Amino acid sequence: MPQTNREIQELLIDYAGALRDGCMPDFLKSLTREEADRIASSAEFWQATEVTRILNSVGFADKAVTPDVGLFISRVNAAIACRLKKARASSPIKRSHHRSRGNSKPTTQAQTWAEDLL
Amino acid sequence: MNCGAKYSPFYVGLSVSRFCGIILSMDKWLRNALKGLADPDLEHRRRAMEPFVRATFGIFIRCLYRYLGNEVECEDVLENVYADIWQNPGHLRNITNEKELLRNVYLYYMRKHLREVYRRINRNSYLSQRDLMNLVAPDLSILEMMSQAELGQVLRRMLGRLKARERKAIELWMEGMSNRAIANELKTTVGAVKMLEFRTILKLKKMLSDYC
Repeated sequence: MPQTNREIQELLIDYAGALRDGCMPDFLKSLTREEADRIASSAEFWQATEVTRILNSVGFADKAVTPDVGLFISRVNAAIACRLKKARASSPIKRSHHRSRGNSKPTTQAQTWAEDLL
Repeated sequence: MNCGAKYSPFYVGLSVSRFCGIILSMDKWLRNALKGLADPDLEHRRRAMEPFVRATFGIFIRCLYRYLGNEVECEDVLENVYADIWQNPGHLRNITNEKELLRNVYLYYMRKHLREVYRRINRNSYLSQRDLMNLVAPDLSILEMMSQAELGQVLRRMLGRLKARERKAIELWMEGMSNRAIANELKTTVGAVKMLEFRTILKLKKMLSDYC
C-alpha cells in the first residue's frame, strides 16, 4: 500500500478492502503515524468499522464455512492431545517438586490440571 | 475509542430479541453437545467436543470471519478456541440460547486469540495498542450480536432505502469488485467512489442504529 497521508474516508475504505480480501496485516503495516492519529481521533471511522464488519460478514463469511468439518475436528483433537501431552509431561517434575518441598497442594492452574489427569 | 462499549450484554440481548421478534433457542443437538462439555472428566469432555464442534463450527467461523476476513486464519484461531473450551468450559454453563453462546464464546475465548494474532503484527504499526484492539477485537455491539440471517435481512431492507448510486456502489463492493472497477462502472473517479462508499456506510450505520 504505497499511498501515504490518506484521508479518513480512504483509510476506512482501505480497512474495509483489507478485511474483505483477508490482508489486515498489510493494512496495519501501511499506516503512518499521522494516519494512525487520524484514525484514533475520528468518531466517524469507528462508527463505520462496525458496518464494514457487518458487510464483510453478510457478503463473504459463508465462504469460510467448509461443508465437511471432519478434517477440522481432527485438528481440534490434535490440539487437545497436544495440551494433554504437555500437562502429562510437566506433571512428574511438579510432583517431585511438591514432594521435596513437602507441599501437596497444587499452586498453579497447570498443576491442578495435571493432577486431574493422573 | 469504542462504539460498542456502551451496550451492556443485557441490553444487547433484549434489544436484538425485541428487534427480531424472536428469541433464537438452541436446537437439540447443540443442547446435548453443551451438556457433554459440563462433564468434569477430561476424557469424556474430549469425546463431547466432536458433536459440539459439528453443532457450532458454522456459527463461530462466521463470527470470526467478521474480524479476520481470512478463512485460514479463522480456522487457526478457532482450533485454539475449541481447545480452550475443552480445557476450561466454565463460561459455557447455563447457556440458554445461541446468542448467549456466541457472546460468551466471543468474549471469553475468541477475543483473546484475536488479540494475540494482531499483537504480533502491531510491533511495526503506529496504531496504539488500544486502537488496534478496538479495531480487531472490539466489544460486541447490538448489530454484531445479530445472526447472519437477521443481518442479511436487515441489510437488504436498508439497501433498498438508499439512493440508486449509493446502493450500486455497496452492492458492487460486496460482489468483490475493486474500487477502480466500481469507478469504471459508475463512470467516476476512484476518489469519488471512496467518498461515496464512506458516506453510504455512515448512512447505513445511522439507519441501522435507528432501526434497532
